[in-house]
Amino acid sequence: MFDFLIHGFDVALSPLNLGLALLGALLGTLFGALPGIGPINGIAILMPLAYTLGLPAESALILLAAIYTGAEYGGRMSSILLNVPGDAGAVMTTLDGHPLAKKGLAGPALGLSAVSSFVGATIAIIGLTLFAPLLAEVAVMFGPAEFFALMVFAFASMSVMMGKDPVKTAIGAVLGVLIGTVGVDSSTGVLRYTFGLPELYDGIDFVVMIIGLFAISEILLMLEHANRKDGNDGLPPLGRVFVSLKEVMACKWTMGRSGLIGFIIGILPGTGASVGGAVAYTTEKRLSDKDNSFGTGNMRGLAAPEAANNASAVGSFVPMLTLGIPGSGTTAVLLGALMLYNITPGPMMFSERPEVAGGLIASLYIGNIVLLALNLPLAGVFARVLTIPRWVLVPGIAILAFVGVYQLHSNLAAIYLMLIIGVFGYLLRKLGFSLAPVILGYVLGGLMEQNLRRALSISGGDLGILWQSGISLGLWIAALALLILPWLLPKLWQAKTSKA
Amino acid sequence: MRLAADRLLGIVLIGLAAFVAVQAINLEVPFSYDPVGPRAFPLGLAILLAALASVLIVKPGTNEAWPGRQLTLKLLLVLATLLVYALLYTNLGFIITSMLAVASLSRIFGASWGKALLTGGLMAVVSYFLFAHALGISLPSGYWVEPFL
Repeated sequence: MFDFLIHGFDVALSPLNLGLALLGALLGTLFGALPGIGPINGIAILMPLAYTLGLPAESALILLAAIYTGAEYGGRMSSILLNVPGDAGAVMTTLDGHPLAKKGLAGPALGLSAVSSFVGATIAIIGLTLFAPLLAEVAVMFGPAEFFALMVFAFASMSVMMGKDPVKTAIGAVLGVLIGTVGVDSSTGVLRYTFGLPELYDGIDFVVMIIGLFAISEILLMLEHANRKDGNDGLPPLGRVFVSLKEVMACKWTMGRSGLIGFIIGILPGTGASVGGAVAYTTEKRLSDKDNSFGTGNMRGLAAPEAANNASAVGSFVPMLTLGIPGSGTTAVLLGALMLYNITPGPMMFSERPEVAGGLIASLYIGNIVLLALNLPLAGVFARVLTIPRWVLVPGIAILAFVGVYQLHSNLAAIYLMLIIGVFGYLLRKLGFSLAPVILGYVLGGLMEQNLRRALSISGGDLGILWQSGISLGLWIAALALLILPWLLPKLWQAKTSKA
Repeated sequence: MRLAADRLLGIVLIGLAAFVAVQAINLEVPFSYDPVGPRAFPLGLAILLAALASVLIVKPGTNEAWPGRQLTLKLLLVLATLLVYALLYTNLGFIITSMLAVASLSRIFGASWGKALLTGGLMAVVSYFLFAHALGISLPSGYWVEPFL
């Protein structure tokens, strides 16, 4: 049953892949540490390079996954030191991390958060190893109708969990799906929404889309942050960077619980590290905040979100690898990267491409150890990265974006399109949208339509096929429950308390 | 103000939905074995989008703070820089355009003229060697420049 893992370690331990996991861990931590460049930006910028360097699929995936997990480690640095989350997953880390730094405990806070990141990720990687092959076996039974229902569930779960505004999350997802419909319709050959432009016949390219949406819009957003003058005003003194065993042991149950919570939330489609961190923090506050010290620099309040956001990042690989449904915005980008290699992840991946699935999982084990080894002693060095001024960072991102898009297409139309999408992404963010649903919609929309049409071809147009099987019916009910409950429960609650 | 922004967005989105729907209805399908065809999915999306946009008009959400006039000007300057970068990219080649674009971006993001020019020069040359030589990626050498090389 675990043949894939043994095979995977063979793949992951080859010198090239080992080197890439190391490089990815290092770059990921840097990307995570730099405010504004989260995992998605890091991957978006480097993905085209990985592709043109001609890396084999499993190597490219190992590199990109290491960047992802590394960024979840790195995101804590600016949260703790500057009170600015390095990425969305590290928002909750600011709550207790920064007060600790203010108390002069920045070093131990960095150390403890590195250890809890490690523990959280380890729990989730073991969970992934055990759970993913089982889920893949279940998923083999999925037909087009079940996949369609699954995607409806994924979108429902995303609307409820992601972002503050469910309506805008849903609108973002629909916009993403619409962008995905541009181009030739694969089953009839009809051109949709191409406006007669030959550049659009193949649809809006994935690389152009994510670099525009994330990197270019980030450049525009950074201008405002630069104006506001947060950060860059010097770092608090680190103090001793090593955290004592006693401090770690005091948080061991916190880490365990939060790792588990993070993993489970990571598996839910559409929910990423930010939700995992938030749920783990509130749970931990309820369970172990006896003296009301959460938010004032409690070590447990720091360990919980850090363990959880790393666990969520790993957990979001489960649906991606087994069902082909990304668990988070970042895994949506990874899914797109795999599609560039003509690999469509799904239930068959463990049997048909074990080197990709196994190699990735094995590399996560290795990468996680590398990350702990990098992050404990080198926290001070990474912290320096925070002082890189934006006037160096921004032109660097611009160069990488141009090189990345140009060398994939060698034409300027792709670059113009990237800039247009960048402005679109900026406006969306200003209007209070988060971009992850857009990218999830863009990646999932095409698959959703294909499965719908395939299912209805099988049934000859009878809609009943969509909820005929137990699996799909269950998914429809779960989706409906997700959409209704958050709206219904508070009302019921209110009715009850007003009666009492 | 922020109520207005979301209501406007809702109206724009309903317009988009209408556009998507009209385009979808006008798709000519020569023949198809597939009972759904290429129209149904975009039509469904248009209906969903219109419904969600209506919710937004009735119950607007929150926006981020919009940039003031000075910041908008700077944003346009950044966009202009990127656009000029793109326009000249293949004509003047990677090194020259990157120097100009980097220097301009650095300057907009608060570097002094000296630092901006230095960053531009260094970053363009270093990244050229990194990408073209170390990684073997082909970069535009510049149609206008080539005859002089």
